[in-house]
Amino acid sequence: MDDNLASASLKRTRMRAGKTVSVEATSPKKKNNNNDKKKKKQNQTEKKDDQNLLKKTIKSANSVQTENDASHKIQELEQQQNTTQELSATDSDSDSDYQVFSEDEVSEDYESLRQSEDGESESSGDEVHGSYDDLNNDNDAGHEDQSDGSESHQGVEESDSSEDEVAPRNTIGDVPLEWYQDEKHIGYDISGKKITKKERQDKLASFLASVDDSKNWRKIYDEYNDEEVELTKEETKIIRRLLKGKAPHSDFDPYADYVDWFKYEDSLHPLSNAPEPKRRFIPSKWESKKVLRYVRAIRKGLIKFDEPKEEEPRFYLMWGDDSSTAEKANRLSYIPAPKSKLPGHEESYNPSLEYIPTQEELNSYQLMYDEDRPKFIPKRFTSFRSIPSYENAVKESFERCMDLYLCPRVRKKRINIDPETLKPKLPSRKDLKPYPATCYLEYKGHKGAVMSISTEASGQWIASGSTDGTVRIWEVESGRCLRVWEIGEPVHCVAWNPSPELPVLAASAGQDVVLLNTGFGNEERKRVGKLLQVETHTASDDSDNMASIVSWLQDDKLGGIRLRHFKTVTSVDWHRKGDYLSTVMPADILFSVYLIFTVFVYSFLSMDHGRFSYF
Amino acid sequence: MPKHYRPAGKKKEGNAARYSTRSQALKLLQVNTKLFRKLCIYKGIFPREPKKKFKGNHHTYYHLKDVAFLRHDPILEELRAKSTYLKKVTKAKAKKNRELADSLLKRQPEIKLDRLVIERYPHFIDAIRDLDDPLTMVHLFAALPATDRMKIEVKRVHNCRKLSHEWQAYIARTHKLRKVFISVKGIYYQAEIEGQKITWLTPHGLQQVLPDDDVVYDVLLTFLEFYETLLAFVNFKLYHSINVKYPPILDPKLEASAAELYALSRYLDANSRNSDQVEVTQLEESELRLSQLQHQLPSNKAGALMQLVKGATDENEEDEDTKECKDFFKNMKFFLSREVPRESLLFVIPAFGGIVSWEGEGAPFNEADQSITHQMVDRPTQGHIYLSREYVQPQWVFDCINARIILPTEAYLLGRVPPPHLSPFIDNEEEGYVPDYAETIKRLKAATKNEILPMPGAGVEDLDDPQNLLAEGYISRTEAIEAAERKQKMMTLEKQYHDELKMELQVTQSSTSNTNKQSSGVDMEAREESLPDIQQIANDTANMSKVLMSRKKRGLYEAMKKGQEKKKAHVDLLKERKKKIDEGKKSKKN
Repeated sequence: MDDNLASASLKRTRMRAGKTVSVEATSPKKKNNNNDKKKKKQNQTEKKDDQNLLKKTIKSANSVQTENDASHKIQELEQQQNTTQELSATDSDSDSDYQVFSEDEVSEDYESLRQSEDGESESSGDEVHGSYDDLNNDNDAGHEDQSDGSESHQGVEESDSSEDEVAPRNTIGDVPLEWYQDEKHIGYDISGKKITKKERQDKLASFLASVDDSKNWRKIYDEYNDEEVELTKEETKIIRRLLKGKAPHSDFDPYADYVDWFKYEDSLHPLSNAPEPKRRFIPSKWESKKVLRYVRAIRKGLIKFDEPKEEEPRFYLMWGDDSSTAEKANRLSYIPAPKSKLPGHEESYNPSLEYIPTQEELNSYQLMYDEDRPKFIPKRFTSFRSIPSYENAVKESFERCMDLYLCPRVRKKRINIDPETLKPKLPSRKDLKPYPATCYLEYKGHKGAVMSISTEASGQWIASGSTDGTVRIWEVESGRCLRVWEIGEPVHCVAWNPSPELPVLAASAGQDVVLLNTGFGNEERKRVGKLLQVETHTASDDSDNMASIVSWLQDDKLGGIRLRHFKTVTSVDWHRKGDYLSTVMPADILFSVYLIFTVFVYSFLSMDHGRFSYF
Repeated sequence: MPKHYRPAGKKKEGNAARYSTRSQALKLLQVNTKLFRKLCIYKGIFPREPKKKFKGNHHTYYHLKDVAFLRHDPILEELRAKSTYLKKVTKAKAKKNRELADSLLKRQPEIKLDRLVIERYPHFIDAIRDLDDPLTMVHLFAALPATDRMKIEVKRVHNCRKLSHEWQAYIARTHKLRKVFISVKGIYYQAEIEGQKITWLTPHGLQQVLPDDDVVYDVLLTFLEFYETLLAFVNFKLYHSINVKYPPILDPKLEASAAELYALSRYLDANSRNSDQVEVTQLEESELRLSQLQHQLPSNKAGALMQLVKGATDENEEDEDTKECKDFFKNMKFFLSREVPRESLLFVIPAFGGIVSWEGEGAPFNEADQSITHQMVDRPTQGHIYLSREYVQPQWVFDCINARIILPTEAYLLGRVPPPHLSPFIDNEEEGYVPDYAETIKRLKAATKNEILPMPGAGVEDLDDPQNLLAEGYISRTEAIEAAERKQKMMTLEKQYHDELKMELQVTQSSTSNTNKQSSGVDMEAREESLPDIQQIANDTANMSKVLMSRKKRGLYEAMKKGQEKKKAHVDLLKERKKKIDEGKKSKKN
């Protein structure tokens, strides 16, 4: 055993392993192709006796092919055969496959090739195997066959039928050879005896033997049967042909003339002997009918062909002579749509700076309601080219269209005037002169402040009520005091009955409202006098519920009626017609927090009944 | 009993008899809403406002006469027939009979709208008056992408492009363009034809956004259909008026290189030249002139001949404005750089009498031409600069046109931020706020009118503010005059005011006491005292008259006042912003 040599070979196998892995990685398809080829070739082989051997050789050839330069290798082998050069075994820096071939024994080379194939199937663990292989070549062979199984499985299976004819020496069948790795035998022969393993030759010895033997390159190791096989010349020829892609046997003609074995004319029994039907050679009736129908339809113009119509001029002088088309259309007046508003400075692409809202204003827009927010926010672009397309162009156009056909149109007069002209012309103050600038009349007589005055319906008289407890009637023009009533309490309010027939004066003083007969007119005086007198006793009968609020008393001293309320009366007023009287008095503050005015309305009179009624 | 009860057998009266709601109209016409919409758009029928809305405020009311008008139009039958026909197509499609569907679609009846056009616009002037919306719409669709989803067909987009270019070519050829305004929304143009001002908007030449929601494209497309027909007929009439055959046949090469407008204008030139020549021969003008013309013909200079002939024939019919526009950019040659929006400038510059070319195929002359006076650039820097021409930004052209004077180019030069672009549609005095640049332009105008030539080179030190830069140099003289005038005016106004005050005072004083008229010194004092009093009196009188107005008038008055106040607030806001900006500038300088 030469350790040196062993390590060298180990190195080589490693190298190859790495290489083939890369090959496999790049071209996995190629291998498949090779497999197919292999199948074909195997089918074509007709020699059965050396079937087993041939298979192996083919395998090896395949593996050679996977190395990518198979033909080169064969040539190399030939050269080697011719020259039988001596090469140094220690030439370790060889990296090309040819040199490897020339270095090693053919058988070993075959081994290494197989190993490289092995490397293809299992990439990572290869190095370990490699070292192991070198130590025990036998084991290696078995192991390698097994790993190869996956690849050459089909080939093995297919060849089974042919294998039956020439029985191999070993009968273990298709089991992984590594099962026998550690055994001393490689299997069993046909009679069931163990076939012992051959003594393994020393590497150096085998190498020397290979150098001596000129036929060595033809020898192949068959690990299944554990023997060396020498290829015959015919076999090498076959391999060479296979490598060239030809049929293995030279006498095989791939382009032989086609012989038609199934000729109808000559055969005694044709497939059908029926005569050709008539319909096959006379024109169809239905078809002709259909054609006729189409022809008629075309003639009638029912079927029109899509021929491009000649373009007639679509446009013409529509408004040729305007005067001729001047007849009045019999329809409603057309109201032209208002034109859209013309853009102002702020819509410019480059407006003055003052048109652009500041950031604060922009922020304030965000807080606004949608309808208040300005529709258009001015922007500024410093050059013409930087203007983007306007994103609302289509939308605005659409809105305009909607306005055009859906907005009611009305002619409206637009007033374009200064609003100041709408104001009525008022005479200036100086034009109104002379208006009274000095005091003209004074009505003297009251000793306290006058709380209220009231004018009579005719305008001739004024009644006044004062805090000194008197009610006075004055003549407007002269200032003469006509009558005075001493009521006793400060008078808050006086009111004339608006009706001219009933010259009655109502005055409120403290809790009382006094109805006074002024005594104007002749008939009226009597009637009023009657009215104001009759009522006293019946009034209290009339309503008990109101008695607590108001009581009716006759006041003879004043010549009228005194209506006594339970609170101070602040105001008295008459109905426009003079039939009703209302008084206002603030309600008790104790009862409610608010100042509520209770209003009593008294029906002053109805002439028929001649008395007051109230509600 | 319902509110508007009408006993059986009694006819409707008043508004209920004259108007119908939308749904009533639908029932009357036996159409669905879609068809009704289409009818209304084609016929130009719009809702009207009855005096009394008998069905409530939320209904749309159509006049019954309008409805009858729709009912008796043959287009209703045609539209119905079409919708039935389209049902056949959908049926064929549903049965997967593609062939039939296709052939049906190919042969579908065509609805012609020309009758409706003449019906709606019996006079050409009516059509011209209503041209704003059609033009805007057609220009918009010319820029839209054709999409299946929105049913915008390629054919229609092309037709829109064609129509818009034809229109622009006519306007440019006859120099009818008056105002141009670049806004954010697009470019506004205003032309004047037969005394009618037509304003339209073209979008910026970029990819347009097609919103999915809140736009019903059917409505837009129906409008477009009518507008296309209308615009085609208007174009026909306009082309006819300048003796050019209408559907113009264009140079396919130019058309392919997207210079349709130029192709059109060339076609127009060529055609009108021929016709003019015929005219001339018919007129039998002087032999000399004719020979001149003949001589010039082969030189293939369209412009020269045209000017010669046109000068004689057209002068009487052209108005003052057109003449001004025609010669506005006379003797100027423009060249458009690659980055400048070509379409608009190719339209605008020839419309004002300039000669223009561009960078690209089919251009009449290239950049190296020595006679170019202005080159439009819109980039920060320019590599190779010809000294014989000025490099200005496109805004200069538009500002010149709006101001109607050739503005100095300093502020618009290459790489500068141009001065603000102002709207030509706004009356600044009425608005109450005059932007600075408008003032500057006004002064420049005055200066050119007074034949005071601007002094170039002055005011260069104020480079950052283009407005100042422009004006300062040569404003001084006009400003002085103007300032003097203004001062005088102010003086007279003040004097008047004082006089009036005095008068009023005298009157009041005389009313209270007649003895106070002694010396002017005393009078002055008294005036000062009584000033607030007068104010109050004025206020009082104003209020008094307001109180005396009728309620309707008062409402009107208040509404008007509100409008005025709003306007004033806007102006105040602008002024305030302006003030702030000025202050900011000042503080920066310091």
